[in-house]
Amino acid sequence: MYTLSYQAKSQASFYWALFFSGALSITGCASTESAAVNSQASAPIVSPTDPYEGFNRSMYGFNMGLDRYLLKPVADSYKFITPDFMQTGVTNFFNNLKGINVVLNDLLQGKFEQSASDLGRFTTNSTIGLLGLFDVATPLGLSQNVEDFGQTLAVWGVDQGPYLVLPVLGPTTARDGGGIIFDKAANPGTYVPGTGIVEGINERANAEGALNFINEAALDPYVFTRESFLQYRNNLINDGKTDIDSFDLDIDEAMDNDGQVAGASKKKVKTDSDSLEVKGKLTLENPEALNAENATVEAFDSMSKSFDDALMEFEQASEKMDRMSKKRRYRRR
Amino acid sequence: MTMLRKIYFSFGFLMVFCLSSLAMAEELTARQVVESFQDQLIDVMKQGKELGFKGRYDKLDAAVKKSHDLPKIARIVVGKQWEELTPEQQAKLEEVFSELSVSAYAHNFKEFSGESFSFVSEEETGRGGVVVHTNLKIPGEKDVRFDYMMKKKDDSWQIINIIADGVSDLALKRSDYTSVLNREGFDKLIAKINEKIESYAKQ
Repeated sequence: MYTLSYQAKSQASFYWALFFSGALSITGCASTESAAVNSQASAPIVSPTDPYEGFNRSMYGFNMGLDRYLLKPVADSYKFITPDFMQTGVTNFFNNLKGINVVLNDLLQGKFEQSASDLGRFTTNSTIGLLGLFDVATPLGLSQNVEDFGQTLAVWGVDQGPYLVLPVLGPTTARDGGGIIFDKAANPGTYVPGTGIVEGINERANAEGALNFINEAALDPYVFTRESFLQYRNNLINDGKTDIDSFDLDIDEAMDNDGQVAGASKKKVKTDSDSLEVKGKLTLENPEALNAENATVEAFDSMSKSFDDALMEFEQASEKMDRMSKKRRYRRR
Repeated sequence: MTMLRKIYFSFGFLMVFCLSSLAMAEELTARQVVESFQDQLIDVMKQGKELGFKGRYDKLDAAVKKSHDLPKIARIVVGKQWEELTPEQQAKLEEVFSELSVSAYAHNFKEFSGESFSFVSEEETGRGGVVVHTNLKIPGEKDVRFDYMMKKKDDSWQIINIIADGVSDLALKRSDYTSVLNREGFDKLIAKINEKIESYAKQ
């Protein structure tokens, strides 16, 4: 139980494991959604971090089916026919391709020292490490850092936005989803057709242990995946630095009386997702209910606004692209 | 030269002996509770194969129950709904939760490949708790941070939460358990926990 990362071992594989996880049937959960089976069961609570839970759950179910019938068999046979050292080589190679993006995001987040180390890592592995097939930098003390645009956006103060499960791509948030587009753009692998498939198969194979762990440990694999994904991302954003008092809050929240809970959850909105859930439930019996509702409405408004903004930017970008390609066509003629 | 070494050795032994008896006389510090638990864990891993699941379970049962405040953890993972449960249900939950916790340990720490824990630092939290930061070293892998949140219970320190690389076990479990409780009710929760215990024991 207390061995999440121990089992997952490699962070990258753990992250990916969250993408497709679980083999427990989701339909079992879905069917009970409408009717409260037990007298103790209360109505499902809508959590502000996961407002689209219904949609997400069905996507999660779809991804699991896809994993079971297509991705896992493919990954298993890949593992079967590929020698271990080659698997490590492939993993190293794709990790190294992300190096440019890591350096870029180090800089965007103002981590200049780390960017120097990561640049050193990238150049070392790309040259002595034969295009990244061998990780020679780690033993030299240049360990791997995980940075991406999703984290940069968080550092810049962009809100996490709603949690989303995308078909095939898996768990993300509105913020991370936007970041992924830039991550792909800054990865040379994106521009070579077919590499994505090899990378995907390899990552799925690496994630086997972590996926099994989720299957073994989770009572509700959907929630387990969501919470570990959000916590894992938060940890990356904060670079592993935790506020010592957040440890206390975790416990107090469940034990203390209502008034204190509200205070506690206000304080830790940024780090913990389900404190909001607790708060949301409490306010149903509280006179504060109206205020909280207003806050939720506002949150939704700002969320949809940020979505709109993002869409606008994409439109502008695509217009620009169109113009550019037109120019090129003219030139060719 | 050899004489000198012998004297050193016996002196060293004496020191260790004195220190350990001192520790026994006084109550254990939070750090000592964590370290002694980790030692027991590594021990079980080393003999993991010979012991088998049952052997590991029996060895870890006392160790886990002594160092973890399992009744309190069981309370926290169902959140507010604890108060809505009948005393019988509360007792049942505590019972199966303890069994699940020990089973999970026995299942996950089944073999040894050079792992070791090392103490990093200790911090006091605002409300009288202590967080013990440790590192799990796995040969050929990146270190995993294990942070133990400790609370005092009847004069002894007990583990109440473990945060592995920033992922809080307690928060994870609370979301997981409350979700099942909300959607499917208490009986289903217990049934699912029992399912997990069974599958841990199988492998």
